Amino acid sequence: MDDLLEQFLAEGRELVQAAGDDLMALERAPDDAARLAGAFRAVHTLKGGAALFPELAPMGRALHAAEDLLGALRSGRRPAGRPELDAALACVGACEGWLDAIASSGTLPGDAAAASARLVAALAGGPSATGAAPAEAPAVAPAWLPAVLADHGAAVERAHGDGRSVTALRYAPNPGCFFLGDDPLALVSAVPELIGLSLSSGGRGPSDDPFTCRTAVAALSTAAPDAVLAPFRFVADQVEAVPVPLAPAAAVPAAAAAARGLRVDPARVDALLALAGELVVAANGRDGGAARAELERLASSIYASALRLRLVPLSTTFRRLPRVVRDAAARLGRDVDFAMDGEAVELDRNVVDGLHEPLLHALRNAVDHGIEPPATRSAAGKPPRGRILLCARQDADAVVVEVSDDGAGIDPARIRDAAVARGLLDGAAAAALDDAAALDLVFAPGFSTAGAVSAISGRGVGMDAVRAGVAALGGRVALSSEPGRGTVLRMILPRSTTLAAVLTVEVAGERYGVPVAAVGTVLRVPRDRVMPTGFGRAFALRDRTVPLLDLRGKLGLPGQGDASGPLLVLVATVDGEPVGLAVDAVGRRLDVLLHPPAGLLAAVPGLLGTALLGDGGVLMVLDLAELVG
Amino acid sequence: MSVERDEDAIRLVGGCGVEDAEPLAVLCRAAPGLPVDLGGAGPLHTAVVQVLLELAPPLRGVPADPFAAAFVVPALERARAARGGAGEV
Repeated sequence: MDDLLEQFLAEGRELVQAAGDDLMALERAPDDAARLAGAFRAVHTLKGGAALFPELAPMGRALHAAEDLLGALRSGRRPAGRPELDAALACVGACEGWLDAIASSGTLPGDAAAASARLVAALAGGPSATGAAPAEAPAVAPAWLPAVLADHGAAVERAHGDGRSVTALRYAPNPGCFFLGDDPLALVSAVPELIGLSLSSGGRGPSDDPFTCRTAVAALSTAAPDAVLAPFRFVADQVEAVPVPLAPAAAVPAAAAAARGLRVDPARVDALLALAGELVVAANGRDGGAARAELERLASSIYASALRLRLVPLSTTFRRLPRVVRDAAARLGRDVDFAMDGEAVELDRNVVDGLHEPLLHALRNAVDHGIEPPATRSAAGKPPRGRILLCARQDADAVVVEVSDDGAGIDPARIRDAAVARGLLDGAAAAALDDAAALDLVFAPGFSTAGAVSAISGRGVGMDAVRAGVAALGGRVALSSEPGRGTVLRMILPRSTTLAAVLTVEVAGERYGVPVAAVGTVLRVPRDRVMPTGFGRAFALRDRTVPLLDLRGKLGLPGQGDASGPLLVLVATVDGEPVGLAVDAVGRRLDVLLHPPAGLLAAVPGLLGTALLGDGGVLMVLDLAELVG
Repeated sequence: MSVERDEDAIRLVGGCGVEDAEPLAVLCRAAPGLPVDLGGAGPLHTAVVQVLLELAPPLRGVPADPFAAAFVVPALERARAARGGAGEV
């Protein structure tokens, strides 16, 4: 995807969000001029951005109509009533969907033109709609301009701050120019008052031919366009120079600008992370005391600060949710008060992004299956408006996100019946489940895809998606419910996921890693204490019988190992139960950068990932739950 | 001879012309990840810069040529960072 489009997407999402927030606030306080102005500004900016891309024309038309409508509201020509705000919110919602479609497929969906026409009609709606003068045509900015401005924003701002104008130059040299004896950068170096330079390699990958010029140069100068172009008089057809407009930042109120904060390109943060990761690897490889300890300390502090760069507040995901709840409640005829708490809690960017979809499902479920229709609520002696609370809090190394409602709750007896009816369990097994285990059934895939589930006075639809989504982020989900009183869905998420502490073990001469978190203790078990059981071997540990597995066998490695002396056993906790794993030797604890298994390794069962060691070797890190299960 | 290979780096020495691009590319490909030391480099021809841009070896040192030092190397570092610091795979 080209840089310009990528930047538009990032910015567009923020603008859509800002517009949506303002419109929803207007719904509660229709006279809030600041909110109205905010929505207008966001829609206006979004429209300007969309105008840069001819393929986004339908989006531009809808936004244009929305801008007209908001303009009419501002001037008082139309009232800020429900139909007007609904139409504007629908437009903003459609734009959000379109931005997502562009991000995933690069284009608008096929029905965008028709949807846009409907939005335009709805936005123009009221009889008092006047033929407001169309806004001025958006200035045509060349496609390469935003990228170079993004590279040199600070320099441009400084120059503008000093009252100097800035000229942007783009030079895409003729591919054969090296043969002609040209050196494009030598020409660029002759540009007066240069303040910034960017290089791009034409979007194609590296080629073997060093004699073809594939590099394009963009530069910024505080000289006038004529002076900037002077060195290029013999290649005038390959250069373009435009004046850089003053940044429209002055129009944004200072408070809003501060709250938006710094947008860090994840690729750059990842580069920093990779560097710090290399340092961790190097530290693992050094021998000897103090130097090593120092290196380790340094590495982990660099790593920690790089990791902090990736932390973003949950509000980036939370902010989009009030509209989701509002839409779902309106569609289903529920009255819902939605409140959020703990939006400032910070999590790894991937986790925050990945949480959006599970939260969507969870909230839709809470509205659909949790909150009862107003009449039912009144009959049960509850206030007719239901309450849904989304809250987040930090809990040691984890972050807990809860969706709670004061709805009908889930009746475990009905879950048991439904599970039996769907053929997930037989009657006896269902009856044997305690209430917590019965509630857990709503997460079973077969349970939630069945159509009749929504008849249950609880949840069901999409709960497997919630669990899968949260598990993919390295978290887990728990559900508790009180029939008649409400339901709490709890998601426990890791704050960041990338640096893992592993214990190295040796089996059949090979080294493997085991996540430290999974290992309880390491024991020497005398062979006479190992008892054969019906399905294998076991040993007694503090009055418990613990199954004993041979890691060698589990990994399909040859040999028997040393048959003399006590067995070296890792006691791991798998699904809450202790399991013993016999290994040949236990190494030391390492902090490693865990890479998910890719390529051929992805097909290997029981592999959590790989990590690079200081000596250049690769450590396979085992997923004990999968290996044992 | 403006392109040299040491134990720990590829060095660009003095002004580098279009003829230095190919040896540089060969050395970079032969030792991916080996840094390119620009400490002794003078003006860099676009063809040489293009090799550094496309193969994205780690860079070290500051070229003696002021234009290269002030503009070209920062632009290369930025391009490299935007690619996640990865070289050719």
